[in-house]
Amino acid sequence: MPPGLDKLQHIVVLMMENRSFDHMLGALKAVNPAIDGVDPDAFSNPDAMNNPVKPQPLAAFQGQLSPDPDHHFPAVDVQIFGGATGPGRVANMQGFVASYFHQRKDLAHSQKIMYYFPNDPANGLPVLSKLALEFAVFNRWFASIPGPTICNRAFAHYGTSFGRVDMDPFDIIEPIKSIYTRMITATPKHSAKVYYYDTSSSTMEVANLLQHQTEQFGTYPQFLSDCDKGILPQYSFVEPNFSDHDSDEGEEVANDQHPDHDVQAGEVLIAEVYNHVRNSPNWENTALLVVYDEHGGIFDHVPPPPCPADTFHSSQVDPGTGLPFQFDRLGVRVPAILISPWIPRGTVVDRVFDHASIPATITKFFLGSYPHVSLRETNADVFIEPNDGSGNLANNLLSLNVMRDDCPNFKIRR
Amino acid sequence: METIIVPRPKSKRDPNRPASGLLLAQIHHLHEAEKGLPPQYHSGIFYQGIQTEGEAANYIKAVTEAIHRAHDDAAAERTRPVPKRKRVIEIAAVADEAAERKRRTSSGAKKTAKKATKKKRGKGGRKS
Repeated sequence: MPPGLDKLQHIVVLMMENRSFDHMLGALKAVNPAIDGVDPDAFSNPDAMNNPVKPQPLAAFQGQLSPDPDHHFPAVDVQIFGGATGPGRVANMQGFVASYFHQRKDLAHSQKIMYYFPNDPANGLPVLSKLALEFAVFNRWFASIPGPTICNRAFAHYGTSFGRVDMDPFDIIEPIKSIYTRMITATPKHSAKVYYYDTSSSTMEVANLLQHQTEQFGTYPQFLSDCDKGILPQYSFVEPNFSDHDSDEGEEVANDQHPDHDVQAGEVLIAEVYNHVRNSPNWENTALLVVYDEHGGIFDHVPPPPCPADTFHSSQVDPGTGLPFQFDRLGVRVPAILISPWIPRGTVVDRVFDHASIPATITKFFLGSYPHVSLRETNADVFIEPNDGSGNLANNLLSLNVMRDDCPNFKIRR
Repeated sequence: METIIVPRPKSKRDPNRPASGLLLAQIHHLHEAEKGLPPQYHSGIFYQGIQTEGEAANYIKAVTEAIHRAHDDAAAERTRPVPKRKRVIEIAAVADEAAERKRRTSSGAKKTAKKATKKKRGKGGRKS
């Protein structure tokens, strides 16, 4: 058994908000051609005058994407299919500019949806870029559904959104349980926790988790402390700060990177989480996944593939598009990076993943199996192979025989 | 080991920023959860009037902490010692004693009254 897998005891997932793969990591194609990022000569979108709009490395940290690009199901359908609705339509990723134009009717402004971050220290994303180049970046991690946050995060917690593509509260449909419940009710008992930033930010999973299982929650300062003390649970899910607000610690700036929050604040958060995991007594037996919940309406050039339909079909005959949705197509591509000292530098993964891969991975690694999971979770690939001999070691990303001692550190300016 | 400098954001906190659709959805979820709490845990905040991030954060904090408090209080109630049954027996025993005392008192009063009547008769003859 590879030592990285053999020693693994803790998995941490940090889920950020509303940015696409090309928008955040597209510039890295120029550094590592294996990363399926932006080729401005190979991809464009038509604007309202049918002129081609190419991607440009002009994304700004804040103040550019206002109004918030539409990322609800009907708008994402336009973005993916270029506005086509008939049978036999093909996903061509030609509708981003048109979709954004629809919101403000401003031709010049609509083109900003095609901006991405350059790979330079002053205007780029030094943290996310460095992590993507140093560890394992996923070329094909997609949102679970072509729609908004609540449903996509539901796939990370339950392996399904129970037939929902909207943002309203939903009921869990038994016997499917959250990954946290599976862990803490297993025999022997395992440990899992959701760490939200603070009570003013709270969690996005209120309807079922927070309302009924408050004991499964901690705060971000507790996460950092648990890292430092080496007492992380086996599975940790970390949520960013979703709003600007005051706290007992002072002023808090939103760091979820949801437009139009400051992207640099999110870079600081990612760096801080990484630093604490990196400097934890558990570093050699921890893996950290940094992933985004959905693309936020921002461009990406890779068409999401079809997938096996979920257990639950859309509870609405028409989810706003005129067509029923069978949960048989993934959402738009998002940044996803797996971090561990056992992963070779420059690893690029081309297999297809979505957020159902998260409960699938945690279940298979820590529990072996669980009888009641959705079809989407059953069919999801795992990003960490089980170390009980049942995994496919050819897919193991923690493949080094000797732990790296050259992992980067981030120094956050005061 | 390479060290990468991470700049702090230049932007300042802006609690007057209009709340995003995501935050408005979150407070809708919290409102539904708040409805399930007993009245003493309700925030008293009119959630449909929330428009800014700062207002949203205040409501989110109030309801999140209320949910935690309600669960903590319920857990404390479950572990609170249950009053022992002998208190019921003691109360019943005290009641029995009081009844017995009353009975004895009233029968003693009757005996005294009888004696007084006999003495009276002794002086004056039969009761008419």
